[in-house]
Amino acid sequence: MTYAHGIHEAPKTFISKYIISFDHKVIAKQFLWYGIFFLGVGGMMALLIRWTLAYPGEAFPILGSLLFPHTNGVVPPDTYAMLFTLHGTIMIFYAITPILIGAFGNFCIPLMIGARDMAFPMLNMLSFWFAFLSGLVLLASLFIPYGGAAGGWTSYPTLSTLIGSPGAGQTLWCLAIFILGISSTMGAVNYITTVISFRAPGMGYFDMPLTVWGLWLTAILNAIFLPVLGAGVMLLIFDRVFGTHFFLAGAAATSGTGDPVLFQHVFWIFGHPEVYILILPAWGVVSDLLSFFSRKPAFGAKATALSMTTITILSTVVYGHHMFTTQMSPLLTQTFMTLTMTISIPSAIFFANWLGTIWRGSIRFHSPMLFSLGIVFVFGLGGLTGLYLGTVSTDLYLHDTYFVVGHFHYTMAASVLLGGFAGTYFWFPKMFGKMMNETLAKIHFWGSMVGLNGIFFGMLLVGYAGMHRRLYNPFVYEFMKDMTSINTMITISALIMGAFQLVFVYNFLHTLIKGKPVTDNNPWEVGTLEWTIPSPAPHYNFKEIPTVKCGPHELGNPNLKNGRDFQYQTEELVEA
Amino acid sequence: MLKKMIGILFVTFVVTQSSAFAGFWAGAVPPEIISTNGHEIDNLFMYTTWLNIVYFILVCAGLFGFSYLYWYKRSPKAYYTYGNKKEHLVVTMIIGAAVFLSIDLNITRMSNDDMINEFWKFPDASKEEVIQIEVLAQQWMWNFRYAGVDGKFNTADDVLSNHDLRIPVGKKVEFRISSKDVIHSLYFPNARLKADAIPGRITRLWFQPTKTGEFDIACAEMCGTHHYLMKAKLRVETEEDYKLWLGEAERLALAGNDVDNLDNYWGWKWEEQ
Repeated sequence: MTYAHGIHEAPKTFISKYIISFDHKVIAKQFLWYGIFFLGVGGMMALLIRWTLAYPGEAFPILGSLLFPHTNGVVPPDTYAMLFTLHGTIMIFYAITPILIGAFGNFCIPLMIGARDMAFPMLNMLSFWFAFLSGLVLLASLFIPYGGAAGGWTSYPTLSTLIGSPGAGQTLWCLAIFILGISSTMGAVNYITTVISFRAPGMGYFDMPLTVWGLWLTAILNAIFLPVLGAGVMLLIFDRVFGTHFFLAGAAATSGTGDPVLFQHVFWIFGHPEVYILILPAWGVVSDLLSFFSRKPAFGAKATALSMTTITILSTVVYGHHMFTTQMSPLLTQTFMTLTMTISIPSAIFFANWLGTIWRGSIRFHSPMLFSLGIVFVFGLGGLTGLYLGTVSTDLYLHDTYFVVGHFHYTMAASVLLGGFAGTYFWFPKMFGKMMNETLAKIHFWGSMVGLNGIFFGMLLVGYAGMHRRLYNPFVYEFMKDMTSINTMITISALIMGAFQLVFVYNFLHTLIKGKPVTDNNPWEVGTLEWTIPSPAPHYNFKEIPTVKCGPHELGNPNLKNGRDFQYQTEELVEA
Repeated sequence: MLKKMIGILFVTFVVTQSSAFAGFWAGAVPPEIISTNGHEIDNLFMYTTWLNIVYFILVCAGLFGFSYLYWYKRSPKAYYTYGNKKEHLVVTMIIGAAVFLSIDLNITRMSNDDMINEFWKFPDASKEEVIQIEVLAQQWMWNFRYAGVDGKFNTADDVLSNHDLRIPVGKKVEFRISSKDVIHSLYFPNARLKADAIPGRITRLWFQPTKTGEFDIACAEMCGTHHYLMKAKLRVETEEDYKLWLGEAERLALAGNDVDNLDNYWGWKWEEQ
């Protein structure tokens, strides 16, 4: 592929360089800061939620009296509903999406496929600023009468219609999601086009690093399914603002001919692919990093890529398992149950491949590797606990309990977060030309592992014991009186988790400000295209568009004679 | 002396910690089962758990074992392979097939059997005695309706009960559930069952209680600020107690129901499905 447009001068002014930037690397960093900011906001919300569950009726220490002066620092019940609604919304759409997809997608795709920028730099710039606008709308909704949305991140009608949510908070929530949908769709179209048409000469699809595979499949799912969510929230806005009855029915809607369950179908047609939208980039990153740090080629890389593709396709036909308790027809229920179970096959295959990759390797336990191994552990737990929720009968009991919360946090929060950290530690030198401190990174890793396993395994335990979700005070129920100590343990784990993230923030900022520039352009000794150029990557990345001659995981070849144990993708493969 | 003190401290520590631990694990035990088929769900849960433990041990063995064995100081040279040899493919495919056949197909079949033979097998009121109850959820209250003396729903003699559900032990009970305002979910932790209450729709649930006592009923679906307070009491009573209560309730209903007040008529006709 030839490069489509000419090379422009590097921007000189502050605004054109850092604000309205068309450079994929700058946009990636914008998304990174944006995501880290919202990760902090969402994390604080999680701590407020956890505090309430462990110590109901007690004031939140230090910050409580500032945030809730009317109740002397105790989280009030209506605020509690707002907190878990916005915690979910923010973590999914404003923290994970911008970090994994916005930041790493933007940064890695062009660099790893040997392109000078994205296919549509203008669309890329707009994608960030639409996301920014969306974030503003969401945050603004907290400061209006009746406060922000409080119907759960799923926003099921009729609770999210005027029947259950007066005030403009829910409308602004819908609007924010709609705008974010526009942003993500623009990004997705851009990623798909870039991967298809901007791969360096010689690079076939299976010569792409698996990170790019993950990001590309994610972009495809985003492009297909975010518009569905956009349509859903738009109809909800119509119901709220223009008096339509798409999702209203029954006694409260005098002339209603709509159906609240319709929204659940629309939501989960998007919602199930969404969980794979979030996890696919992390899977890609793990698959690459396990190979890089085991110093051997990724085991069955083609099978891993095809398994990820299979899951992408399957993810579009299993969404009904979120709705078993709405009582669909038995035939539909059985179909969704069986289809859900087939996801195990490709999952088992890439798990086998991950373990195959480290098998007989020569493993270097740098921080990105530790985080990658951590993902194999937590995603194992997350994936296996999904089985209980896929079978209808156990779901009758476990649906809407903390078992579900534990399960999706293991898959979506723990795995994706660890993936984000692995990527940050790994590409930090390429992004900023400095190395983060390894010791602090390892402290961060072990602290986070203890914290998040305490949180999410505790959730599985109380969920199995029947504790259901979104309760302001669970202990009003007789059968949950015994669960105080586990809930306290979860909260303490959450505080530990939170505290260790400060280590990361310190490490990140300290390295950025005080860190010494790297002397080595390729500190991890890997051969993918982004490491063939200086660190940090220069304006327009590649002086000359590279020609790709071998795969991305050429490590440990015994016939290499040049003193390295790896070769660059631009080098002719040394035959064994 | 010092040793003794340390010994005492150690024993105190162990005792307090282990008793705290006993209390800790009590929070991970599901409530007792009071229905004829609730144990089916627990059985499938445990079956899945044992298989999961086996596979998770295999994952951990690979993860920790290979991490230990192939640390670069122990294993300075990596084995150069793409993992695409015939034996590699066979092993990978065996793992994929083993997981699918041993866990997925098994639990799908078991769950499907349970649904068809138990949870979807609604009792037939024309063949056996079935206690029929209509449930209307609203923010933040559970309304239960019994057919009353005429045995027909949506008539002036219906018995209405708020937050207080009484059923006789040993009899099959069928619920028809709907909602007045937002989506709720009728959740019986002790029967391991729940069904959403959806405006404009009627959902169904049945179980057969096996023991008397007082149990919790909860709303499992987020339904607004006071979702957490939307609880009701389930009282499973002996046949006599239940008859006594229902007789009194029917007498009060006949005497007190306001025929002209349409608000009482949230009920609907019970139709066999």
